[in-house]
Amino acid sequence: MKHARLTALSTLLIVSAFSAAEAQKKTVVFLSGQNRDVGYTKIISMLSDDYAKKNATFSYQHQAQLTDLTQRLQLLANSGTLPTLFSINEPSLLAQLATKGDAADLESYFRDLGIYSKLNPVAVQINKKLTGGKLLGLPLELNIEGIWYNKKIFADNGLKEPKTWDEMMAAADKLKARNIQPFSASGDQKWPLTRLIGGYAARKYGADVMDRVKDGSLKLTDAGFVEAARAVQEMGKKGYFGLGVNTIDYDTAVDTFLQGKAAMLYMGSWVLRDLNDKTRNKIGEASVGFFNIPAVKGGKGTINDWSINTGLTVGVNAKQLDKATGDWMKHVFSNYANLAMSDLGMLTGFKVTKTPKTIPALTKMTQTKLNAAKNGYLWWEGLFSPKATAISQDNVQPLITGDLSPEEYMQQLQNALK
Amino acid sequence: MIGQDPLKSTLKKKAPHNPAAANLQKTLLGIPATLLIVLIVVSCIYPVIWIFMSSFKGADEFLKPMWTLPQSLHLENYTRAWTEGNMGKYVINSALVVFPSIAVMILLGTGAAFGLEVMRWKLSRTVNVLFLIGIMVPIQIVILPLFNMYYQAHLLDTRFALILTYVAFGLPLVVFFLSGYFQSFPREIVEAAVVDGASIYQVFFKIALPMVQNAIVTVALVQFFFLWNDLLVSLTFTTNPEMRTVQSGLLAFTGQYGQREWGPTFASISMAVAPTVLIYLFLNRMVMKGMAAGAVKG
Amino acid sequence: MNKTLSDWKAISLFVGPALILYLVILFVPIVSSLGLSMQEGSPITGFKYVGFANYERLIHDSQMWKALWFGTRFALFVSAGQIILGTLLALLYHFYLKHSSVLVRTLIFLPVVLPTVAVAQMFSKMFAIAPQYGLVNGLLDNLGMQSYIQPWLGQADTAFWIICIMEIWKAMGFYAILIFTGLVGIPEETIEAGRIDGAQGWNLTRFIVLPQLTPIMVASLIFSFNGTLKVFDTIVALTNGGPGTATTPLSILMYKTSFVYSEYGYGSTLALTLTLQCLVVSLLIYWRNRREGN
Repeated sequence: MKHARLTALSTLLIVSAFSAAEAQKKTVVFLSGQNRDVGYTKIISMLSDDYAKKNATFSYQHQAQLTDLTQRLQLLANSGTLPTLFSINEPSLLAQLATKGDAADLESYFRDLGIYSKLNPVAVQINKKLTGGKLLGLPLELNIEGIWYNKKIFADNGLKEPKTWDEMMAAADKLKARNIQPFSASGDQKWPLTRLIGGYAARKYGADVMDRVKDGSLKLTDAGFVEAARAVQEMGKKGYFGLGVNTIDYDTAVDTFLQGKAAMLYMGSWVLRDLNDKTRNKIGEASVGFFNIPAVKGGKGTINDWSINTGLTVGVNAKQLDKATGDWMKHVFSNYANLAMSDLGMLTGFKVTKTPKTIPALTKMTQTKLNAAKNGYLWWEGLFSPKATAISQDNVQPLITGDLSPEEYMQQLQNALK
Repeated sequence: MIGQDPLKSTLKKKAPHNPAAANLQKTLLGIPATLLIVLIVVSCIYPVIWIFMSSFKGADEFLKPMWTLPQSLHLENYTRAWTEGNMGKYVINSALVVFPSIAVMILLGTGAAFGLEVMRWKLSRTVNVLFLIGIMVPIQIVILPLFNMYYQAHLLDTRFALILTYVAFGLPLVVFFLSGYFQSFPREIVEAAVVDGASIYQVFFKIALPMVQNAIVTVALVQFFFLWNDLLVSLTFTTNPEMRTVQSGLLAFTGQYGQREWGPTFASISMAVAPTVLIYLFLNRMVMKGMAAGAVKG
Repeated sequence: MNKTLSDWKAISLFVGPALILYLVILFVPIVSSLGLSMQEGSPITGFKYVGFANYERLIHDSQMWKALWFGTRFALFVSAGQIILGTLLALLYHFYLKHSSVLVRTLIFLPVVLPTVAVAQMFSKMFAIAPQYGLVNGLLDNLGMQSYIQPWLGQADTAFWIICIMEIWKAMGFYAILIFTGLVGIPEETIEAGRIDGAQGWNLTRFIVLPQLTPIMVASLIFSFNGTLKVFDTIVALTNGGPGTATTPLSILMYKTSFVYSEYGYGSTLALTLTLQCLVVSLLIYWRNRREGN
């Protein structure tokens, strides 16, 4: 104890003695929800290490916060010590941080730095929706969501890509009758199930459905939403998701599809890294197809509207926008898109200027679909408060087992929106 | 790790060994009791075997039933846990905060329990209840004020902060348990010693401490497992990867969307559990010795 | 005599350091989080003074009552299980296994040592239904009891019992050792005296052994209740409060409210409720015992 106190004391002395010399030194910290070596954090780390090598006064630090991210952010925000970049699970909280002057408006900042043109306009547009019309999060990914299917199972059973919800249910019925699990889904993660409700609602009311819920012109207790919840409940009750869906974790759900034990899987394009992984994908690249949530009877939405998002939100601390941060940002985000594409085959919200020669076939296919998308809409909970998000996801479990009625599900959710 | 044969042989050996106590044995127990014990023991060692076995499995073997043996030894799970997972460093880090915490906690806690139960003063019961409140508070809720305190005192990211927190959170429990032991502590002995001219400090160190040493070792052991398995405190008050403890190190294998690399994770768990099992086996001997000594004296 | 035992200098030396450390590190934050229960918001959204609004909300919060009821039921079953099994094991160690109980004691203690997350992983695999049957469903399948095969952790009622079983199983070795330490401390003469008086088996246990164990049993009971009322890790790792919110106790509701919903003020109010629940239960046990003791 004494020893520790002595160490603390001497550290303090050393720090104060050297603080004059250290004044010029800049450390950029990225508090991230994922490990250093995956996805966008890998690309940012690579570029930052590269930058630090050329600039002696700059250093980069990656801090992974894999659990309790919101708790950590609350602690840091409370003591005024938010890091330079930070992942944040709830977009609505980022908007609140911006109102308090803690999160930077990236549109004006990127214009000042002269790198605004590096951004992909589609990504900017979809990203702004999340945070009240302002660009507050970095569009580090560009994901498109839909239903991946096993072409071989479909062909063997005389099925085609369904264009309507009813066709999809008929296909599922046929597969189920032949003892093939129609859908694989992680009910443990919950969101893969609520995405289906959101998809149905978007087909029913059109791509702007959740904006209209937000401005109050639609209520979640309206017939169309109850119909959406009932449609997904039916899938559960008829056993289309297989046994014990609420206990299935993310990996198991993906593997069930990749091992040919289920015909369809609703998932975002981040799953490409598993689909492209030959050790996990046992059905083969050629056997994977992808279609959008099909149209529903009497609905306004079309299958040209895609669920698109820019990945987990990452904000920038407004109080650290000094010259050193700006120079580093310019370096990182001028090269981000190209490196992400060449190193990981990953689609991002930044423009690619150099296309590598070999892109995995599935990545290419996804990119084509993304480029052809007419309208983008956010996921079901994209505009919800953290509390409404939790209620939406918690209640979907009893919904699909039939323990909660579709009316009750929507009623509780509508109450939480206030 | 621990085979079944030595267990069986002890059980067999023991039965005919104690004819003296046969009275209670026969009436209470018999073969069903032995069977029950075997069953309970098997259920308790199985997880260790399972973790150990799983640490050699390849990624797709985790989709097979859990009791299957590993098909081949994926030793790279261990090298990955060691290099990517940095388990060696984390074990040392954990030790550097856990052991000082326990030492301080036991010293202060035993003193306080003695002062509260053996000595006579007006407010002793109030203070006792004050400590009792500490056991009841959910730790999650004091994290925020505590974080601000440490931030202002420049203690974040120091081992000192972890030790302070561990000691303060462990104290109520130590005080509470040892109070229980001191409660049944024979007053006559203290009184006799005082009459003989012993100071209160002599009574504490020479009489009280030795008499509750079993309890102290037990409480220390319990605290060791709590602190060794702590995640919340270490994760909250340190961010520096150089200071990561075993449990926060284990987290490093979790991916962004909930994916996990089970093989290396189980290898890490095996490495994290090994020291606790060894320390337990070692300390358990000490407890036994202490108890034997106590029995002789009594 | 009294002079030595009420020497203020000695008392402050014995109690002082622990008390000061405890007050500064634990008690001050407790009081300041009490202040938060009169406010609304979180450090991210900012705080606003709202008086007793959170307490009013508490009374009308059906989720809170559900969580309180779940936690109470859970604590009753688990504490009873832990103490009863712990006592039985301790008696077995002391009177049946005698000096060769070291190995058995060591092995039964093992689950206490293991990280909760790892144990929970094992339990969820044991009770799994997909992608393939776990141990339990596999067994039912082989025994021809297919109608009993079910998603054990995916249903509210079965999930409750599995969490109870895991929590009891994980801690019984701990309580066994604790109570065993108390048993060893009972002087041989006391038990011999009982035997000579004709007490045997259950009677010996009931009238001679158990009364001697009272202080340690009370300590164990209070400790067990506090642990189970505040249960957190086990449930997070096993069901994360689901399916739906069916296995959510007050501790998880409080955590979610503070750190997921970002309603830190109301979260503090829930924490206070949980603390009060623990306090009431503990004081009941504590004072009842004191009265009996005197």
